[in-house]
Amino acid sequence: MTPRGPGIEPPADGPMDDVDFGLLDDIQELFEAIDPMPADLPERIRFSLSLRDLETEVARLADEDLSAVGVRGAESSRTITFDSESLTIMIRIDANTDGTVRIDGWLAPPQRREIEMKTTADPLSVSSDEQGRFAFSRVPRGTAQLTVRPAGPKQSGAGPAVVTPALIL
Amino acid sequence: MDEPRPASVRASQRDRADRITALMNAARQGSDDAVGEMVTEFSPLLWHVARAAGLSSGDAEDVLQTVWTRLLEHLDEIRTPAALGGWLVVTAKREAWRVRAAERKQVPTDTDAFAELPDKGSGSEERAILDDQSRTLWAAIRQLSPRCQELLRIIAFVPQADYAAVAAKLGMRIGSIGPTRGRCLAKLRAVLADGLEGNPL
Repeated sequence: MTPRGPGIEPPADGPMDDVDFGLLDDIQELFEAIDPMPADLPERIRFSLSLRDLETEVARLADEDLSAVGVRGAESSRTITFDSESLTIMIRIDANTDGTVRIDGWLAPPQRREIEMKTTADPLSVSSDEQGRFAFSRVPRGTAQLTVRPAGPKQSGAGPAVVTPALIL
Repeated sequence: MDEPRPASVRASQRDRADRITALMNAARQGSDDAVGEMVTEFSPLLWHVARAAGLSSGDAEDVLQTVWTRLLEHLDEIRTPAALGGWLVVTAKREAWRVRAAERKQVPTDTDAFAELPDKGSGSEERAILDDQSRTLWAAIRQLSPRCQELLRIIAFVPQADYAAVAAKLGMRIGSIGPTRGRCLAKLRAVLADGLEGNPL
């Protein structure tokens, strides 16, 4: 910490000096140590702000199921269901051996859509088939978010785009 | 042990003002990258504004989301780069009060502004992460009024270049050559100089 002067209270209406600024630095360090902002918070805020102009339905997390498969605990599979007014999106997340994850998804009711996945790296894009199935074979771990769009440009009757909340892979 | 200040703070006020102006202009034109850069730079400050107001971690995260969403709606009203920090801090404080007031109506609670900090527990966690000097400082801060604790925590996260603008927004007096020390810093210095008499750690 900053060395302090003799034990007299400095005037409150005096200009700030180096001791004051040093103290403020120390206070900043102190609160960074005892109550730090979650490191991924800015990233999550950026994520949700980047959706602000889309005309979208926001799906909410309806169900999450963690089931360990295989012998080792690390090999687990998660199934997550998102519900919006027009669409239910279900995804299963499985770990790949290379540290990425595989995502298999289903749309209900089944339909062809463009599925975009925002990731910590570049966004990924696939289409669902007539049965509403889609898959991303390798997705980097970290924050991710799905957007389901109409399959064609201005396709009539396709409904709005649907976005999920950010999820951690 | 003054650490060198981060580059963003060391840079002259002029450079910083130019940079913030450019970010604000780009954000007005819809640049997600510019918005993202502002979010990265100012979110720690806003986190401590919300937490100093006594919010839970979850509520503090919600407040930050709200503040940033609102900033994008009000970007045109913030005329100078120096005004950005002050606008963000005041908006975060207001939003935090609103959330606290809504919660008080729902659940009777007498938690004070620092209810969630480690000092309410056994203290072992705090002891584990703080060195002696930080513990001395922490003990001194806790002898101040709740208002001073909140104020010092907030201004500690304000970049020096923005200090005058934010301090003015928080009701601190600005002297002819800049911000004055203020009652809270003066008191803290006195407490530290007295060696925390009667308040063994």
